[in-house]
Amino acid sequence: MKRRKTTPSGVVEAPLDPRTQVRAKEEGLPSVNEGRLRTYEPGDNVRRFLGLLSSRITRSLAVSLTACVHCGLCAESCHYFLARPDDPTMTPVWKADQIRKIFKRHVDWTGRVAPWWVKAGGPRDDEDLNRLKNIVFGSCSACRRCTYNCPMGVDTGLLVRFTRGLLTELGIVPEGVFNVSRDQWETGNQMAVTETDYLETLEWMRDEVRTELGTDAIDIPVDRQGADILYTINPREIKFDPRSIAHAAKIFHTAGESWTLPNWGWDQTNFGLFSGDDKLGAYVARNVYEAAERLRTKRIVISECGHGYRSTRWEGYTWAGYDQKLPTESVVVTLKRYLEDGRIAVDRTRNTEPVTFHDSCNIARSGDLVEEPRDVLRRVCTDFREMFPNRRENFCCTGGGGLLSMAEYRPLRLEVAKIKADQLRATGAELVCTMCHNCVDGLNDVIKHYKLPMRVVQVLELVSNALVVPGTNERTKHRL
Amino acid sequence: MSDLLRILENEVQIAALVFLAVVYTTRLIWLFRFRTRKERTIAAGRASAGAGYSLMNVAMPWAMESTRKRPGLYAQFVFFHLGVATAITATFIIPYAPGLFKVRAVVFLFQIVIAAAFLVGLLRLVRRLTNPVLRQISSPDDYFSLILLVLWFAAGMLAVPNEPERTEWPLILFFGLTAFFLVYVPFSKICHYLYYPFTRFYLGRSLGHRGAFPPAGTKRPEARRAGENQA
Amino acid sequence: MAHIEIEGRRIEVNEEGFLAHPEEWTEETARLLAKAEEGLDGLTAEHWAVVKFIRDYYLEKNLAPMVRKMCQATGFPLMKIYDLFPSGPAKGACKVAGLPKPDGCV
Repeated sequence: MKRRKTTPSGVVEAPLDPRTQVRAKEEGLPSVNEGRLRTYEPGDNVRRFLGLLSSRITRSLAVSLTACVHCGLCAESCHYFLARPDDPTMTPVWKADQIRKIFKRHVDWTGRVAPWWVKAGGPRDDEDLNRLKNIVFGSCSACRRCTYNCPMGVDTGLLVRFTRGLLTELGIVPEGVFNVSRDQWETGNQMAVTETDYLETLEWMRDEVRTELGTDAIDIPVDRQGADILYTINPREIKFDPRSIAHAAKIFHTAGESWTLPNWGWDQTNFGLFSGDDKLGAYVARNVYEAAERLRTKRIVISECGHGYRSTRWEGYTWAGYDQKLPTESVVVTLKRYLEDGRIAVDRTRNTEPVTFHDSCNIARSGDLVEEPRDVLRRVCTDFREMFPNRRENFCCTGGGGLLSMAEYRPLRLEVAKIKADQLRATGAELVCTMCHNCVDGLNDVIKHYKLPMRVVQVLELVSNALVVPGTNERTKHRL
Repeated sequence: MSDLLRILENEVQIAALVFLAVVYTTRLIWLFRFRTRKERTIAAGRASAGAGYSLMNVAMPWAMESTRKRPGLYAQFVFFHLGVATAITATFIIPYAPGLFKVRAVVFLFQIVIAAAFLVGLLRLVRRLTNPVLRQISSPDDYFSLILLVLWFAAGMLAVPNEPERTEWPLILFFGLTAFFLVYVPFSKICHYLYYPFTRFYLGRSLGHRGAFPPAGTKRPEARRAGENQA
Repeated sequence: MAHIEIEGRRIEVNEEGFLAHPEEWTEETARLLAKAEEGLDGLTAEHWAVVKFIRDYYLEKNLAPMVRKMCQATGFPLMKIYDLFPSGPAKGACKVAGLPKPDGCV
């Protein structure tokens, strides 16, 4: 047997930075005082971690923890490993084994009797838990590509989220994750947008669209009782990029849609998905469901957001223990319906640049939409081309799993983004379209870092651009 | 036939099988003590179709990129597990239907299949020892289980002619290893086949409910759109 | 800590190119950040209008302003902000104004 070669490990050594946690405690935030938002306390974290571990395991987790045969087939499904092929610590199986070995040592039988025989063990102290944090938050975007490639059906994506959830409960989380969770707990939206700011921005966009279309008939309604559609958005749209709200308003108006945004419960994003905190997940999702109930709308529509779609359409109902009553759909599905039913007319020659589509992990692999965005793009663009691999086999934008909010892992993220960059470059497209705000930023980072001649767009923007508004059928009119 | 071999082929095997059954039952009870979560969303696909598709994955190398791109590894998987099934069958044929192994063609067929598995086992061992990814994750159990199986295949090849009157030791080795296996398996990675139906079922059911399994084109069109199929 | 080197100057930034010590911002830093991170050769009066508003707002409230506020204060239409700062209000304008990275999906 050859001597074991020491291989470099890409696992980032980021210490726990509890500064904002300390500040949150000092400020006496209600979410901290009431124990909803957990902060780091030195002490018996290992014991608490193990207690949480054994109390939270579900059957599907238990089988994913026991069934791995160490075949290694998952390795090449992961963009981290593909970009760092000499680094075994980048494989899904190694990352999952870090929680698996704890499970084996403390819950499973062989590991409890003979830990060395099955490599069971740990964690010994907070240092080990912090290292685990760097693995499950820092070297995995929880894209679930490995889940789809495991012969045994082991759901490593699920294991990573589960582990994140245990660490979140101990405050052993990246600072960015803590900050965003804090804002979502405290303000109901992940960017701490105030009600005034929210309403003012909506009015502003309403005025912009009125000017563009030259009509005062257009509105961006808030809290309109009995509207058909409850439209929910990403706080990023309010705070930094409200163009997409204007696009949606323009299209809804043209389609003659009866719609409203809620005054409360408008944030469809959900950091509970990324932090693994089901309680936060339940709180945010329930806000949306209750807004729809309060306003007696017939449908919930989610703006273009991958993790928001997965959280609000799928996971949120389970987290919140809330039986789904209303159809809950992505705005892309709404757009598809408008196009099919002839409720809006489009001129696809207004989008002539070559466009490719990037599937968001949370929508394609953990959700149900792969053909819908393509149907829409083929109707509003003249040159749509696939990237390869695509659909459920697409690679992550590299910013998934909340990684965009964790600056400490950015160098590794951009290094392994080489896979994504090659994939994008090969399409020869000038535009890459995605139905996820997170992917927009992730892809923008990849494009900037690897100097690709591309621009990121979203489905709403392309549809809005191709939209033929009766009476204002001039291209120069489209400003937004 | 010596008393040792006779007891090994019969009483010892039965005792080991009973032990296996008892431990498996315990294991399943343990597994079912973990809770499951109630599905509260309106389906976009069929959970049962997803579960079925997921369970059939083992026979669909084209379904996953990992096996599609590595047909050699998939072929190894097939030969290895065919060998296991064949050798297990042999442990029942020898004591209970020895007539079958009087037919030379049957013996030859068994030997070929087990030999293929033996070679694959060696390949797998080499891969596990040389591939840095596998070395990083492999535990003593991973190596031990594989080495044991390779030995068992070797013993199986020699045992299937079933000629204790000529030489007994291949049979003693084969049945001794079999008995050891039956007792050891529930505590090792080898019992992964016990979990396979569960992992694949739960994953398939969840993805089927969401319309992700089976892939587009094979599911009913009326269930396509999220929440549209509400009664 | 990461850093960028430009015109012989060394600026400490975090992993995302945001200023590591936001309190150490000067107009010279802004000019260098704009060049290194946004590819802008020199800042116009319009750039400065946006940057100075963001800076003052941040010093007062310890918070990045919404793009609505930027447009209100400067009188620019929304698209103008994107024309001025290719990476947009958060990763472009706020970065040049020396703010730490805003929290959330940006």
